[in-house]
Amino acid sequence: MIDIYVALAIIGLAALIHASFQLGVSVLTLLSGHSLSVKRSEFRIFRLTTSFVFGAITMTLLLLASLTLFLADFVTPENHFLIWSIISGLLIGVGVAVWFSYYRSGPGTSLWIPRAFADFLVDRTKATKRSAEAFSLGLASVFGELLFIIAPLAVAAYALLLLPSYWQIASILFYVAVSVSSLLIVWILIGHGYKISRIQKWRETHKTFLQYCAAAGLIILGAFTYVNEVLGGLL
Amino acid sequence: MTHIIKRGTREYENYSRDKLHKSIVAVCLSVRASEGSAATAANATCDAVDVWLKTRPEVTSDDIRRIAGKALESHNPDAAYYYLAHKHIV
Repeated sequence: MIDIYVALAIIGLAALIHASFQLGVSVLTLLSGHSLSVKRSEFRIFRLTTSFVFGAITMTLLLLASLTLFLADFVTPENHFLIWSIISGLLIGVGVAVWFSYYRSGPGTSLWIPRAFADFLVDRTKATKRSAEAFSLGLASVFGELLFIIAPLAVAAYALLLLPSYWQIASILFYVAVSVSSLLIVWILIGHGYKISRIQKWRETHKTFLQYCAAAGLIILGAFTYVNEVLGGLL
Repeated sequence: MTHIIKRGTREYENYSRDKLHKSIVAVCLSVRASEGSAATAANATCDAVDVWLKTRPEVTSDDIRRIAGKALESHNPDAAYYYLAHKHIV
């Protein structure tokens, strides 16, 4: 059985890696920029951005809970090491992919997500007028990054499964809180009247740093889980 | 009348000062400029683009964006940055 502190550390690091992914922040930036440009009131912008953040929180919660449930159906004492090996491989594979191709080359913070989906998000952002639409945009923005967030979600889900039941709810909430922290920071900044051009400039300036942090975090977490859970368990 | 070749679709459309003006006002409001300063910046930017277009019968929408962004820089640097960057956010 995995040590509780190790499992919590894995969940915490996975959540931090999740927080460094940027699609939600990009869409939130666009949403507030567009809302300001069409002269919506501050209260309306607050409602829209809050609904967006709640959408992102809900989808993260649903994905993590579903993945945990899905893994719970699969785990047996016989395939425990196999699942850790698959998750370690997934973490390292996604880490390498993020290292080389998270952002598209050129200026800005365009991501390597399908262009049709990115265009859909941009169009939906411009069309968003109601809180329910902003909420569903938040759901979609988390889902759209599934290609990258699947690795931290999978490792967190499996670590959750190995915790005692009374730790599981708290750990799910802990993961969600940490993973949406970057979104919450941008939401607070926008709410306080910070210029979105400055937020975007900061993101563009530090995009390589964030990309390498996420990639290194994934690779380190993959190597750790493989050595600690697979090799450590077999030896 | 100058023709604009649109980004991506490669379709043509006529240059519209009004359309450019609206987009500059919108981007200035996005960075929390006042409506008055947004209108002033948009007028100055459109004037600069009009002068640049005088000798060019055909340009791309990216050219317009680049020239307008450069002209906007002296009036509202934050808006100029966001105007050039907002197509590359997602």
